[in-house]
Amino acid sequence: MSALLRAELLKLATTRTFVALVGAALALSLLVVVLVSILSDNFTEDDARDLFTADFTGMFITLLGVIGMAGEWRHRTITSTVLAAPDRIKLLSAKVISYAAAGVVLSLIVTLTIMLVGTIILSARGEVTAAPADLIDVLWRNLLIAALLGALGIGIGGVLRNQIVAIVGVLFVAFVLEPTLFGLVPEVGKFGPTGGGPGGIAQTPGFDGEEVDYLSPGIAVLVMFGWIGVFYAASAARLRGSDLV
Amino acid sequence: MAPVEIRGLSKRFGNVLAVDDLSFDIEAGRVTGFLGPNGAGKSTTLRALLGLIIPTAGTALFDGRNYEKLQRPSAKVGAVLEDASFHPGRSGRNHLKVLAVSGRHPLERVDLVLEAVGLTAAADRRVKGYSMGMRQRLAIAAALLGDPEVLILDEPTNGLDPPGIAWMRGMLREQADRGRAVLVSSHLLAEVAQSVDDVVVIARGKMRAHGPLEQVLGGGEGPATDVRSQDDAKLERALREAGFTVTPLPNGGLIVPGVSPTDVGVIAHDAGVYLVGLGQQTRSLEQAFFALTGEELTAE
Repeated sequence: MSALLRAELLKLATTRTFVALVGAALALSLLVVVLVSILSDNFTEDDARDLFTADFTGMFITLLGVIGMAGEWRHRTITSTVLAAPDRIKLLSAKVISYAAAGVVLSLIVTLTIMLVGTIILSARGEVTAAPADLIDVLWRNLLIAALLGALGIGIGGVLRNQIVAIVGVLFVAFVLEPTLFGLVPEVGKFGPTGGGPGGIAQTPGFDGEEVDYLSPGIAVLVMFGWIGVFYAASAARLRGSDLV
Repeated sequence: MAPVEIRGLSKRFGNVLAVDDLSFDIEAGRVTGFLGPNGAGKSTTLRALLGLIIPTAGTALFDGRNYEKLQRPSAKVGAVLEDASFHPGRSGRNHLKVLAVSGRHPLERVDLVLEAVGLTAAADRRVKGYSMGMRQRLAIAAALLGDPEVLILDEPTNGLDPPGIAWMRGMLREQADRGRAVLVSSHLLAEVAQSVDDVVVIARGKMRAHGPLEQVLGGGEGPATDVRSQDDAKLERALREAGFTVTPLPNGGLIVPGVSPTDVGVIAHDAGVYLVGLGQQTRSLEQAFFALTGEELTAE
């Protein structure tokens, strides 16, 4: 299993996709943090803490997971991958763990960078900065969300093997379906895999700073495990029963 | 036990029976050609052998084990499939490194196999810039990475230029001489005829012939002898009395299936017939292929 994990991580490190997504996630997260740090006034400790939940790693690592799995079919590399690792369930598990780890790395880079830059700007402007305990609290939540979404992305990519369909589907759910559902039926929306669950773990505030009726972090983690379990099982069943012609 | 044993292998896709009850062995130290027209079931058989396709019935075993049950499959079996594909954004070297890590092979093997296939200079270029021949060489390098005991190659000469084909022929022979079992599918009959020791011929998913090349070329009774003498009638009588079937040729001479030229020579000597020509008659592989598969000469 460790060889498979190392191979999957090496795959990630040897294409430009991972670097591009790290760059994009970092740029977007920094843009938001820098603008808010510069343009907003009268920060409270809570504001300073909430600023660093602006880690946009989640969407990028989800897409990275989707590409990591669906891309095996797009580039027809699934054959050589399965030849090297014929136990398909072990292979899928290695991918899930690898992309969870990649999510942690990606989020660690982004969160630490925005924390550093945001804190420097707030300090320079004489604004209140987040307490170290709050920073640690935000950090572990961001890392956990990224790990869960990396694993989820692999599951989605294993079910929807058409990479374009999978990416468009994830974006539609994340930016259209879940927000709409959250607005209309929040009792259902808060169980969503791309917004509700991660929001519950992060306890991200609403746009107006109001508290949102998220699931508690513990329940949100369980819900995310449920989504991952569903997609993992469907992906495993599909992979196991497939003829690779 | 042969290193590769296929027993009663069948694969059905919907209403199509692509492979129908195939059984044969691949022996160590020999190159086995796997022949058949398009759609005969060659690739399906190879993919079933490698665990990529789930057989409807039968088994395909390496030293008694399914491919997916092998401890380190790429150390046991190296495979080049017809549509070898690579991530276009990854370099050839990195592609092999990924396979070396997952197969638990020393990373030094990467440089060795790159050199063996002549790709060292292009190793750090991204695969999307490779020609078809270079991709084929990279696929072969990947197959050799684990220094496997069994090599399975599906149309390995696709995309190779003449020097590449010659290199491939030498590589197959070298691998067999080192005791490896080599199974190579190809539609290039002349190419196969120069490279293989044994032949498996299939058509419409069914086995048509299997055995040493000379035996398959000679038809069901093995090689035939083409003999010409000063008294064909007397020689024909002697051969028939010895229990052989004899076919007189229209312009003189006899064809005697299932007997060697040496034995015909002895019978002719005993009968007191002077010979003016004596040799083994074999079909070309192309003739044998068409006779066995029932294909038209225009095929492939």
